[in-house]
Amino acid sequence: MNHIISLENSIDIILTPQFYTFIREALDLKFAYKAKQIAESLFDDYLDNSHEYQYHVYKCDNRWCFIAYDINEIGIFLESVGIEKHRVSKIFFAQQLLDTVEFPILLDEQNILQNIDDVVTLVPRQIVNSEVEFKPLDMNALRFKGGVTMGSSLNSYISIKETLMLGSIFCILGTTSIIEGNRIKESITKDDNKLTELLDENPRYTSSLSRESILAKYEPINNVERAKREAIKDISKFLSNKSQLKRLTIEKNRIKAEINTNNRTIKRQVKEHAHAKNFKVSGSSLALKVEKSL
Amino acid sequence: MNLMTIQRYKNEIILMFTFLFAISAFYYKFSASDYVDKNRNIIQKQIKEINAIESYKKQWANKSMAKKVKLFKTIVPASKVKRFSKKSSKLIASYINLTSNDLNKITNKLLNIPIQIIKLQIRESSKNKFTMEFTCKW
Repeated sequence: MNHIISLENSIDIILTPQFYTFIREALDLKFAYKAKQIAESLFDDYLDNSHEYQYHVYKCDNRWCFIAYDINEIGIFLESVGIEKHRVSKIFFAQQLLDTVEFPILLDEQNILQNIDDVVTLVPRQIVNSEVEFKPLDMNALRFKGGVTMGSSLNSYISIKETLMLGSIFCILGTTSIIEGNRIKESITKDDNKLTELLDENPRYTSSLSRESILAKYEPINNVERAKREAIKDISKFLSNKSQLKRLTIEKNRIKAEINTNNRTIKRQVKEHAHAKNFKVSGSSLALKVEKSL
Repeated sequence: MNLMTIQRYKNEIILMFTFLFAISAFYYKFSASDYVDKNRNIIQKQIKEINAIESYKKQWANKSMAKKVKLFKTIVPASKVKRFSKKSSKLIASYINLTSNDLNKITNKLLNIPIQIIKLQIRESSKNKFTMEFTCKW
């Protein structure tokens, strides 16, 4: 019967061989990740396909040691003895005690751990010679490397795979947004620098009121002066050797001209052109008066 | 929140932080975009206004115009210049006995120089002879 354990802190656990399957192979591989890639195929004939296994691989002497374990099964066992999964920080395998198990280790009244041909094996006590000396397991002397974790998936609502996937997506989106944001901000840097330069040269234009009042002074001047010049050019186009200028006046933003024409045809032509240029046309006989407000 | 809880909800915490990072980055991007939209128009309007002021001042309040307008005294023979009065930034000039060519010459110059034409009067005094009078300032 299992004892129910109550824990306050996190613990490391050592799994006895009934929770894992062990294979040792001499393979011409340099890296553990390469070994892990072929781990599943090595266990093909040994494992129950209805379970989902994970693999732990490490180098032992000149060979590779492969351990297959079902983390769900381990989790169920741990819960059955009252160990909450999230309290388990690392899981080690009894096989990793190989150097320590020189003498059989008494686990409980029925089982012992024994090194058989360099494989740590769970052996029923009753088949072991009663004269065999047992050695206690000195936990303080143990030095483990490379244990496995329960996996966040077993403790969290979200699996590690989903976490990595969603986390990566969020990070990529976030980084892209920051880069994009910086690019957008930099897009007005050029204009901003130009404005700063202009304001440094003309500090009195800093005030929008000042700018508006200066513009309000010059814009009408610019418009009217351009209109005056345009109107004079238009009137000059009405003139020819058959239509002569008699008088032209510009005063108070108004332009007036008197044009004498030689015949009715020319008069009509001048009149049409003047209308086309938005001049007000008047006058009887062959003399025409054209005028326009600027 | 103790260490164990952090350990237990590690995935959720990682996701929460990455999500917050993404949201903050989105907010940064949109606020940058908003800032640029608002300020680009303002900045460009200010640049346009300053450039327009500079351009107007250069055109219609050009201090060096005082020298340029002197040519209205010499553009036609002195006998045709009835009056040439330049005071401060104002010029009053009047001409007599101008031929069509003289008239065109003075008018073209007047139109091409950026000065404000306050008053202009052209009158045919006799056959193909004109008088001209103008007041301008800069």
